[in-house]
Amino acid sequence: MADELKGLETWNDAMTSLQLLQIDPHGFGGVWLRAPFGPVRQAWLRQLAQTGVNTVKLPGNLDGERLLGGIDLSRTLQTSRLHMQSGLLQLADQGVVCISMAERFPAALVAPMTQAMDTHALPPLQNATSTQGLVRTQFGVIALDESLPDDPPLSQALQERLGLWFDLHALAPLDVSEVSLNSPPMDSTHDELNIRIAPLALASMRQSLTHIQWTDDQALAVCLTAQGLGIESLRIPTLALRVATCHAALHLRSHVIDEDLAFAARRVLAPRATQLPAATENTLNSEPEQSSPEDLSAQPPEPPPGEQASKDEEEDASTNHSQQDTHTPEEDAFNTPSPEGLQEMMIEAAMASLPPDVLADLLTKPGRNPGNTSGRSGQYRSGTQRGRPLPPRQGRPGGNARLHILATLRAAAPKQRLRNSTQAGRVAIRSEDFHVHRYQQHSASCLILALDASGSAALQRLAEAKGAVELLLQQSYARRDSVCIVAFKGAQAQLLLPMTRSLVRAKRAMTGLPGGGGTPLALALKMACEQATQLQRQGVTPILVVLSDGRANVNLQGLGGRAQAQTDALQWAVQWRLTGYRALWIDTSLQPDAQVQNLAHVMGGSYMPMPQVQAQRMATAMDSLRRQAG
Amino acid sequence: MDEKTGMAITFPFAAIVGQDEMTLAIQVVAIDPSIGGVLVLGDRGTGKSTAVRALADLLPPIQVVKGCPYKCDPAKPAQACHVCQPDSSLHEVRPRKLASESRPVSVVDLPLGATEDRIVGALDLEKALSQGIKEFSPGLLAQAHRGFLYIDEVNLLDDHLVDLLIDVAASGENLVEREGLSIRHPARFVLVGSGNPEEGELRPQLLDRFGLSVQVKTPQDVALRVQVIKRRDAFDKDPTAYKAQWQSESDQLQKRIVKARKLLASVVVDDDMLTLCARLCQQLGTDGLRAELTLLRATRALAAMQGTKKVKPEHLKTIAPLALRHRLRRNPLDDTDSGERVNRCLQDILAL
Repeated sequence: MADELKGLETWNDAMTSLQLLQIDPHGFGGVWLRAPFGPVRQAWLRQLAQTGVNTVKLPGNLDGERLLGGIDLSRTLQTSRLHMQSGLLQLADQGVVCISMAERFPAALVAPMTQAMDTHALPPLQNATSTQGLVRTQFGVIALDESLPDDPPLSQALQERLGLWFDLHALAPLDVSEVSLNSPPMDSTHDELNIRIAPLALASMRQSLTHIQWTDDQALAVCLTAQGLGIESLRIPTLALRVATCHAALHLRSHVIDEDLAFAARRVLAPRATQLPAATENTLNSEPEQSSPEDLSAQPPEPPPGEQASKDEEEDASTNHSQQDTHTPEEDAFNTPSPEGLQEMMIEAAMASLPPDVLADLLTKPGRNPGNTSGRSGQYRSGTQRGRPLPPRQGRPGGNARLHILATLRAAAPKQRLRNSTQAGRVAIRSEDFHVHRYQQHSASCLILALDASGSAALQRLAEAKGAVELLLQQSYARRDSVCIVAFKGAQAQLLLPMTRSLVRAKRAMTGLPGGGGTPLALALKMACEQATQLQRQGVTPILVVLSDGRANVNLQGLGGRAQAQTDALQWAVQWRLTGYRALWIDTSLQPDAQVQNLAHVMGGSYMPMPQVQAQRMATAMDSLRRQAG
Repeated sequence: MDEKTGMAITFPFAAIVGQDEMTLAIQVVAIDPSIGGVLVLGDRGTGKSTAVRALADLLPPIQVVKGCPYKCDPAKPAQACHVCQPDSSLHEVRPRKLASESRPVSVVDLPLGATEDRIVGALDLEKALSQGIKEFSPGLLAQAHRGFLYIDEVNLLDDHLVDLLIDVAASGENLVEREGLSIRHPARFVLVGSGNPEEGELRPQLLDRFGLSVQVKTPQDVALRVQVIKRRDAFDKDPTAYKAQWQSESDQLQKRIVKARKLLASVVVDDDMLTLCARLCQQLGTDGLRAELTLLRATRALAAMQGTKKVKPEHLKTIAPLALRHRLRRNPLDDTDSGERVNRCLQDILAL
């Protein structure tokens, strides 16, 4: 029941977001819409099309020139004068750009785009030093993100700049149609069917937008809420206030009221929450969702470390507030609620909009979650546009291929007579002359470390393995490789650390790893395979290093039973072999084991018996393996 | 947009709240560009980019040779580019009077996805296509000459671009040998980089090119945060008015920098201080003499900024963490803050 209402509310808010976009397309950055392709998203997009907001769609295969503007090659060649074409971002001025497949939007384009959003002007065109100044453009961004939970989402830099976040994954088409059917069209005050705001009303809303100002208390409340939810960036409170102002303008109010702030809290602050605010703990405890994550997680959830701090700050804020009271008594006459009251209201609004599983996640998370902040964009290193240059080759420019001018001219040169250009001094170039740049790419590699933390890999050897892994990490640091760590024990394999190049984090992740429990080898291999597939998708070559004694005794379902566990492990070892990537098995058992050797063999990997893991030796072995891979 | 300069209006530098370490470091390198740049490390949304883009506020316009694409200094004809100084072996060397104009100091944004062409410059397409002339069209490095080159997310920059920058930042000259072009032009700029260390590490060679490094965090004080947000909002609502509102503060800041620059040459560093610097660097085991040199220059610039004629231990105390933090040879797995180590070491030395 509650879920249904939540769905309705989400959809309502999503519709509201469209109205906000009409009032102020670029003020709050834009909308990050996470939804699979389907009727829900289609409905939203259809409504967007009806709003009349200038919408420019950015396809996935866009190149930089088209985005930012550049030379119109065909016309240039025809007329032999330089013709520029304006970029899509410029066309989207005072409107929005809509990125489909935003999760795959190349990093090379995200950077100039965020720059344009920050400075309200396009980065200067390609080497155009002489042309007139900057091209000014203001636009909002609608990022349509279809990523699944374990896919890499939209680039962080862009995520942060988009004010409103919507996750429509959970929304059923029924919710949507219900909304549009239920609200009668004659209801003029809250007209859901007709999202488009009439031009006259729109003008007055825009007019009032410039006059609406939030109070200091409201700003304070937003800041406190953001801090309480563990949102560090200062952009976010700014965006939240903008959204609130815009929401107030939508309702033709002259000042921001609680309802506006609640909307901002729901749609700007809540989705970004990284921790539970301390203040609402008692209210949450009464909810049934609260108990389940506590029962499930092995250790009781630790109170967020920010709790004490934020409490202090609250006190701080209250003293602050009392000071303000003395300074501005006329504000009290206005009967504005205190910042604390506002904050509570906003946190409630934020919490109410979060789905219960997210809440559970937040509860088990110790404060800020570093897992989401790993630099995804750093791994989009590959592309056909960079690397060591190779000789150019014939081909069509456009897309990712860039024109190699010299080679093109060179190809055209001998044929000039033949082509008999009518005007002297003009180079006749035909499309067959085009040469494009080619680059050799150095593909980065990533170590997947599968670390056995089970009871059978006795504690002391776990410590040794950790030491060895640290050595490996230092080596991969030198080689600028990335690592990702899969730890397995008990009934589950866990992605301890997603791909990262930060060794500090790798070390931190490892030191916190306790040992004990069964050996779910199959699960670990399965996870390694999944990781490998993901890495491969990102153009990174995975290398698997398993540190285990190979005594699998937990099967794929997480149940005990040696025989089944071994079969499952063997099956996934075969799977790894099918991926065709290299693997190294370091046997941590006391005596070298034929069974483990067999497993390693099945995986198509090397096998190293190592009664006592000797860090130095292991590192050397790793190095030679890498050389084979590279 | 500012009609006169053709540049977008930036947030006034004087209006930046909090982030004292960062603003200090930026002012210090503005006083003495030979310190060699600032590296700003911190999370998103801490005002890194805002501070750097506001840099142009700090500095008075510079005199450049009129129409020169490389912004040559008319006072230094010896360093002039090939446009201002046509091949001297062919012509008689005569002191040409170069017309000059004043231009604002450039702060060039180098976006992460920039291509090599864009950075070093490439063949001028228009001329190549229409007239068949090979001519060089300067890139970002040329634009940044005598100004600042800002790289956001510098730790994610592609390796081959890093190589390029390292070379140019060291030599102060951009040498282009590609597409049949052979061009050499001056490119002396202050490198300013920002990034989030959690997303990746910087190559030690590039790290070394940065004179100072600062770590920024979002201010934890709520009142300060509210202040930041209010100012930002006021700016966004009406950039021109807000800028005008801060004009006198900006002018003051600029005057201070200009004064400090003049004072810089006369600031004395006595032998005691030199020994202190040397001891500190030795104790910390920093590689090479660059650390000492940077430390020295930065303390001198700070002294000049504060209007004192002699470098004092306080100056060293303020600057040492900034100048040395990123130069410590550290275990990549040791995550204690290097700034702390510098401070501790400095205290030990001062106590002696």
